Amino acid sequence: MTFAALTAWQAWAVLIGAAGLAAALFFIKLRPPRILIPSLSLWQRVLDASTELTLWERIRRAVSLVVTIAIAIVLALSILRPSRIGGAGASAHGRTLVVLDSSWSMSARTRGRETRWDRAIAEARRIAASSDQVAIATTADGLVQGLTDDSVLVESALARLAPSAFGDTSWPTVSGVQSVHFVTDGAVPHHLDRSVVIHSVFEPVNNVAITAFDVRSTLTGGRRGPDSQVGTAYLEIANFASKPQTVHVTMFRGKGKIADSNTNLAAGEAYRQVVPLARQGDPALHAHIEAPDNALDVDDDGYAWIGRARPLSVFVVGEHTEWIRRLLTNDPDIRATFWTPGTYRDGGQDVTIFDRWAPPTVSGQPALFFAPPDDTPWLAVPGDSAKDERRPRWDFPGDHAVLRGVDPVTLRIDRARNCESASLVPIARTSRGMPIICAGESSDRRLVVVGFGPAESNLATAPAFPVLVANAVEWLGRPANRDLSLRPGLTPFVGPARITRDDGESVPLTQLPASSFGVLAAPGLYTVESAGARNTIAVNAADPQRSNVARTTLGSGTNTAPPRNPLERPWWLACALAAFVLVFVEWWTWQRRITV
Amino acid sequence: MPLRFENDFLKKLEYLHVVSKRALAGQNRADRLSPKRGRGLEFADHRPYAAGDDYRHIDWKAYQRLNRLLLRLFDEERDLSIYLLLDVSRSMAEPAKFDMARRIAAALCYVGLAHLDRLTIIPFGDDLGRESSPGRGKGRIFRVFESLEQLEARGPTDLRAACKAFAARPRQLGLVVVISDFLEPGAAPAQEPADADGVGPAVKDAIGPQAGLKILRTIGHDVFAVHVTSERDRDPGVFGTVRFVDVETGEVREIEVTPRLAAAYVKEAEKHADTLEHFCGRYDIGYVRADAERPFEDVILRAFRQGRFLA
Repeated sequence: MTFAALTAWQAWAVLIGAAGLAAALFFIKLRPPRILIPSLSLWQRVLDASTELTLWERIRRAVSLVVTIAIAIVLALSILRPSRIGGAGASAHGRTLVVLDSSWSMSARTRGRETRWDRAIAEARRIAASSDQVAIATTADGLVQGLTDDSVLVESALARLAPSAFGDTSWPTVSGVQSVHFVTDGAVPHHLDRSVVIHSVFEPVNNVAITAFDVRSTLTGGRRGPDSQVGTAYLEIANFASKPQTVHVTMFRGKGKIADSNTNLAAGEAYRQVVPLARQGDPALHAHIEAPDNALDVDDDGYAWIGRARPLSVFVVGEHTEWIRRLLTNDPDIRATFWTPGTYRDGGQDVTIFDRWAPPTVSGQPALFFAPPDDTPWLAVPGDSAKDERRPRWDFPGDHAVLRGVDPVTLRIDRARNCESASLVPIARTSRGMPIICAGESSDRRLVVVGFGPAESNLATAPAFPVLVANAVEWLGRPANRDLSLRPGLTPFVGPARITRDDGESVPLTQLPASSFGVLAAPGLYTVESAGARNTIAVNAADPQRSNVARTTLGSGTNTAPPRNPLERPWWLACALAAFVLVFVEWWTWQRRITV
Repeated sequence: MPLRFENDFLKKLEYLHVVSKRALAGQNRADRLSPKRGRGLEFADHRPYAAGDDYRHIDWKAYQRLNRLLLRLFDEERDLSIYLLLDVSRSMAEPAKFDMARRIAAALCYVGLAHLDRLTIIPFGDDLGRESSPGRGKGRIFRVFESLEQLEARGPTDLRAACKAFAARPRQLGLVVVISDFLEPGAAPAQEPADADGVGPAVKDAIGPQAGLKILRTIGHDVFAVHVTSERDRDPGVFGTVRFVDVETGEVREIEVTPRLAAAYVKEAEKHADTLEHFCGRYDIGYVRADAERPFEDVILRAFRQGRFLA
């Protein structure tokens, strides 16, 4: 028998010491209070008459002593948590790796009101108890506890684990293990080695889930005015149950409810709902469903963000900005303000467009430069490069996000400036190789420099013009993400970023030079700040594959973990409970003077 | 605590008088009927005239009718000797109890003084203390107050020894009022199981306080016992391990007071009082219990009257 971190003899010594200490404390006599009484004669008579109670008093005192010692022992046991790791009968199991499937389908409640995860933990405990040494791993977190024979470490590792959504890692391996046990519900298929022993905690249960929730643009989105639509909210609900259910659907925009309905869904039926969204209003959307037979909670909420509900603030700085004014003022997603170089004040804008003018120092905000002056100090061209090029040819648009959809063939450029700089990366070059459009990105800002302007090209009238400006403003004003609707789990971000949950708490990130990674653990809205711009992304658990918790990919030959008995808790909890009950009984009987 | 009574209460006391079950002759004229024939106002009887009789008491009308010299006899009204034996042992040291005892003594003194009775206050412990006689007349009540205020509870109790000392001196027979808690060290009366009539335990050989009362009764006094008790006498009031100290002997006893033991003590205290009352009943001794927690006026005006001690 191994007692936690103590050796057996140490643990026995602690137990015996605790019992001895309790007995010693029991026999310590407190100095009783002195009370003056008129005469002891009455007490003498009472005690003479009650001598027959002495035996009973002795019995009660002995029982009280036994209870006191029992309290000390069970308290010591509950603290030491002894367990039989590596008994004679368990040595055949040797060193074991227990891998827990931590996909969020494991959060499904079974008919016994426990979750599949609870069953998996109980199964892991059972495996650990019959092994000499055990390592714990999950499909999402990898190895969380190396090989150990310390039951406290194993218990601690199991206690801090929880289903952690997506982000399956590579299959964990531990050298020296003799057997690998995988505890799963089979919702997500895994390609496993034949030697892996699979323990199934699957039990088919009914579930209703939001399988899709998003904001989709509409053709009328370009109109201005309070009644114009910015898009529609698309909601998809599926009933993964073997019986019809009435699903209560509510949808909120900010704190206001925009949809509230009950829908009857047959078994396996999906329901789709489209809700028009006005331009004005809170950009945050939240959908929630309720159903009577619903095993999973994580897929009952959906989140979306109406990006166009909050227009970008764009400052345009230049002496003659009429050529771009009409384009910006007609875009409902942009709120443009025009400045001359003399009146320009930096601050409050999302993007700044400098028209043939540039400040002496580089702007602290995301900025788009058209034909910056040749003497701009922070745009000094390297010595051996050409400063400009007459009638350049731009044939290939490039693959940068700023140039996506831009048709360079329609542009006729008389003169282009070389935008090459130490802090900028060329994204478009002439046929002779001179950079004419450059982009720069650092941790706090983004820049786009276009080496030509309306005076030396037909930019203002070319079809490429609105595409180029829209791409540049979007890239500058909103952090680039591959997808604005994500799943919970490990998520990569382009460039250095800062992620904040909607409750204001920052998400810890692993920063790399060109990207960063963070775990978006729970569904919800997250604010992404990168390169001086800010955007909001929605994280949803919607996934028809994992929400269907009534099926499994496991075969019939899988070991099936028995439903966990609700009374089957770690036995030291029973010890602690017993100690509490004994203390209460002793206290209660002492208060009533039943015991000594 | 100074002993003072309100005027209203004193007026109520003046309407009362101490009842003696027996007619005892005093030494001085007063307003209490005595067994003696003498110069009172109430006609009692005739007897033949004998030489030496006061011829002023010859009933001449009877002589005219019967031709015999008959002497008219009158009931003589004398005072009553009241002896207040006040327990001043350490067992009475509890303030509430001692104060109640002294106030009872003061009230009885005032009733006696108002009716011109002869009062003697005798404190006792294991022996008699210094006696004090305030005199006659209710104006002497302040001397009674002063003498009672000067008393202190000290020493052990031995009522038997005190009563023997009381009986050793020749005294006018009278009413002896014993005011005490009747708790004595080691005084456990031997008891018979129960009387045939089932009234209660009977005392075979009176020892302790009962023995003292029996001595007083035997020498012819009319005896009245005022049993002063307090809550502490009747109920231990504590639980758990307690070190009880006998205030008179200093004896210490450590007792684990359980609810059952406490209940037994309450029962024993009640039995002690019942035994004393039963003993008094058997020997024609008046008995009144005065709880220290009870209002004093209620004790005097209600309990004493119900006990036929005051009327």
